[in-house]
Amino acid sequence: MTDSLLELRGIDKHFPGVHALKDAQFDVRRGEVHALIGENGAGKSTLIKIVSGVYRPDGGEIRLAGAPVAFNNPREAHSAGIATIYQELGLYPELSVAENIFMGHAPTKKRLGLETIDWERMEAGAEALLADLNIRNLDVGAKVGALNVGNRQRVEIAKALSLNARILIMDEPTAALTESDVEQLFGIVRLLRERGVSIIYISHRLSEVFELADRVTVLRDGEYIGTHDVADTSEAELISMMVGRRIENLFPKQAAQIGDVVLEARNLNRPPLTRDISFTVRAGEIVGLAGLVGSGRSEAAQVIFGVLSAESGEIRLNGEPVKITRPSEAVDYGIGYVPEDRGHQGLIREMTIRENTSMAVLESVSNYSFVNRAKERALANDAIRQLSIRATGSDQIANKLSGGNQQKVVVSKWLASNPKLLIMDEPTRGIDVGAKAEIHRLMSRLAAEDGLAILMISSELPEILAMSDRILVMREGRLVGEFSRAEATQEVIAHAMMGASATANSVGETL
Amino acid sequence: MRKTRTDPRNPTLGEKLRRLLISQEGVLFLIMLVSVLFLSSRTDKFLTVDNLLQQGRFMTEIGLIAIPMTYIIITGGIDLSVGSILGLTAIVLGWTWQELGFPLELAIITGILSGTVAGFINGLFIVRVGVPPLIMTLATLALYRGLAEGISEARSARGYPEWFFQLGQGEFLGIPTQLWLLIVAVIIFGIILARTRLGRALYAIGNNETGARFSGLTVNRHLLFIYAFSGFMSAVAGYIFVSRVSTTRSDMGTGIELDVIAAVVLGGTSIFGGTGSIPGTIIGVVLIQLLKNGLTLSGVTSDATIVVIGSVLIFAILVNNFIQSRGDES
Repeated sequence: MTDSLLELRGIDKHFPGVHALKDAQFDVRRGEVHALIGENGAGKSTLIKIVSGVYRPDGGEIRLAGAPVAFNNPREAHSAGIATIYQELGLYPELSVAENIFMGHAPTKKRLGLETIDWERMEAGAEALLADLNIRNLDVGAKVGALNVGNRQRVEIAKALSLNARILIMDEPTAALTESDVEQLFGIVRLLRERGVSIIYISHRLSEVFELADRVTVLRDGEYIGTHDVADTSEAELISMMVGRRIENLFPKQAAQIGDVVLEARNLNRPPLTRDISFTVRAGEIVGLAGLVGSGRSEAAQVIFGVLSAESGEIRLNGEPVKITRPSEAVDYGIGYVPEDRGHQGLIREMTIRENTSMAVLESVSNYSFVNRAKERALANDAIRQLSIRATGSDQIANKLSGGNQQKVVVSKWLASNPKLLIMDEPTRGIDVGAKAEIHRLMSRLAAEDGLAILMISSELPEILAMSDRILVMREGRLVGEFSRAEATQEVIAHAMMGASATANSVGETL
Repeated sequence: MRKTRTDPRNPTLGEKLRRLLISQEGVLFLIMLVSVLFLSSRTDKFLTVDNLLQQGRFMTEIGLIAIPMTYIIITGGIDLSVGSILGLTAIVLGWTWQELGFPLELAIITGILSGTVAGFINGLFIVRVGVPPLIMTLATLALYRGLAEGISEARSARGYPEWFFQLGQGEFLGIPTQLWLLIVAVIIFGIILARTRLGRALYAIGNNETGARFSGLTVNRHLLFIYAFSGFMSAVAGYIFVSRVSTTRSDMGTGIELDVIAAVVLGGTSIFGGTGSIPGTIIGVVLIQLLKNGLTLSGVTSDATIVVIGSVLIFAILVNNFIQSRGDES
C-alpha cells in the first residue's frame, strides 16, 4: 500500500451516545475512483467529515502522501488538496459562476493603489477551468441560482479544481441529477481520474459503483467490513457485506390475529416523492415500510397524516373514504403519527411529560375547555407506569429525559388518543438497545392484543424483518415491492430498496 | 408529620413562598415594591389614593392591549399595528357618528368591529400567506394609520353626549370605570391563558409550532383568533381613549405598541415565545406607569424618566435570565 495518497488507520469517533466509527480504515490511491458504501448510519458521512477536516477523530492515524496529518478545520484540509462536493451544494446563488469558482481566492490587481478583483482574469480563469472539464456551454457571468442542479454541481467541481484539489470527495453526487446530467458527471469523473485526481465516491446506487469505481469499501455500523476491487466482486456480495449483521436482541414478535382493513391508500400522488402509492394496513397487522433515506417513505406517511396534501388519490379508513387536509383531521379520524424527528415534530421539549402526553387529547381531559390537571396527571402517570418511562414524575420537562424515554412520551401521546392506525416513523432511531426492545415489545402487544394497525417506517432492516407481518419497499417515491414475512430476507429487501435486481441494473432505471 | 426535605409534589408553605419569590412575577413584584417605596419617599404627592386611581385610568388602554399582546408574544409572534388599530377605531367611531349620522351606540359597535376586522386581516395574512408577523403588522401599522388619516381628513370629532364619557372619565364605586373593565379582563383572560385548552395550545405553539401541528392542534385557527382578539382589544382601548379625552383624532395611540411590548416583556414573557403570563404582564404595565408618574412627580425630567424605565427593563430581564439559568441547572 505504498502507493496510497491518503491512508486512514484505526479511526475512532464517538458522539454522545453513539460510537460512530470503530477502528475504521480507508485508503485512496492516486488517480482512482474509490467508492464508499454502507447503509444509513454505517459511518460513511462521519468518515468523510474526518477526511475533510469537519470532525477530528478520537483516535487513529491519517497519512497524506505518507506523512501523518491532522486537520483542525475544513480550511486545512482544503489547502492540503482535499475538496468535498456536498449533497447540499455549498454555493452562493446570488453570485456569478466565476465568483463562486474563485470565492476566497479571486485574482487581484492594483488599481489606484488598492487591491481590487481582476474581473477579466477571473472570468478567463473560470472559462479555462470549465473548458478543462469539457464544459463549454456554461456562461461564467450567469448567476449560480439560475442554473440547474447539474450545472451547479459542475461549478462546484470547477471550484474544487481551482484550489488544486488532489482528492475530491463526492457525497451522493447523483442523488438530485437527471439522467443526462448523470452521464456528464460520469464523464467528468473519468476525465479527472485520467489526470491523476483521486475520487472518493459515496453512493447508495450499486450500479454506479460498478460503472465508475475501481475499488469499493464497505462500512457497517461504524466498522470497516472490507475493500474489494470492483472487478472481483458482485452486487450480491456487496449487499451481504452491507447488511449481514447479526440480528441484535430484538424482541420476538407475538403472532397477531389479522383483522379487517383499517387503512387503504389508493393511488396517492404527490410528486416527486409520493407517486401512485396504493396499499392497505389491517387491524392487528404491523406493516413495515422499507426504503433508502429520500425514497419517499416519510412523505407518504405525512400525506396520510395530512401534513402534506395529496394531489390526487384516495384514503379510506375502515372502508369509508375520508378527506384529510391537516393533522388535526387525521387525529379526529383516529390516526396517530410518531414522527421521525422526535425533538422537532414529536415532542414539545420545553413542556412537561404531562403536557406532552395530553397534547393530542386535550379535549378529553378538559371540562368545558378547562384543562383538568388531575385527569392529565393521571393520564401521564398511567403512561409512565405502562411504558416504564424513567422520569422523576409527570411534571418533568420532556427535554430532560433520555432519547428512549422521550420517544416513549411521544408514543404515549398517541396511545392516549386511542388510535385505530398508528404510523411510526423510525420508532427506535437513536435510542439505546434496552428502550428499543421495550418499544418493540409495546408495538407487538398493541397489534396482537388491541388490534391496532401499525405502519412502521424503518431504515434498519433487522427491525423491519423482525417486527413486520408484511413489508413494503419504496424507491424514488414509488412502491416497488411487497413481501410477506415468510419470503422476506435482508438480501431480498435490500435488493428492492436499491433497485439492484437483474432487470433494474442501469443508471437510467434508478432515476 | 415534620418535613425535613422538600417533596416536589407536596411543597411546604416555606417552599411555596420561596418558589413564588424566585419566580419572574415574584422578582418583578419586589422591584415594584422597592420602586413604590423609593418614589413615595421622594414626593408626598405620589402615594395618594387619588393619584393612584388616576394612574389606573391612564394605564387601562395599555393594559387592555397588553393582554392579547401577551398571547401573541407567547406564540412567538408580535403585533405592531395595535396603536394604528386604536387610531382607526377612534376615527371610524367619530366619523360614522358625525359624518354618516349613525346613532352613537351603532358608531361604537362599528368602530370596534372595524378594529377586530383589522386584526383579523393581520392574522389572515400571517396564517394563510405566511407573512412573518413582524413584517405584516409593520405594514399594517402604516396602512391602518394611513386609513385613519384618510378618513378623518385631519378633522376631529367632538361634542359627544354626556353618557359617552362615563367609561373614560366616570367612576363606579369610587374607582375609574375603565379600571373595572381592565380588572375583569385581566382575571378572565388570565384564567383562560393559565387554565384552558386555548392557553395550553398557545404555549405549545410558541415552544414548537411544528410539534403542535403534528400533535393535531389547530395552529392556524388559534393564530387567527389571537390576532383578531388583538384587534378587538385595541378597538376597545380606542373607544376608551376617545371617551377619556372627549375628542377623536387620527394620531391617537401613536407609539402605544412600544409601551405595550415593553410592559409584556418586562412582565417576563419571552420574545422568542413559549413563556409568559397575564399576572406578569399586568405587573409590567403597573410598574412602568408608576415609574413614569412617580419620577415626573419627583421632578425628574421626562428624558431622564425614559432612561430609568429602560434601565429597569434591562435589569429585570437580566434577573429573569439569571433565574432561568439557575432553574435549568437544578
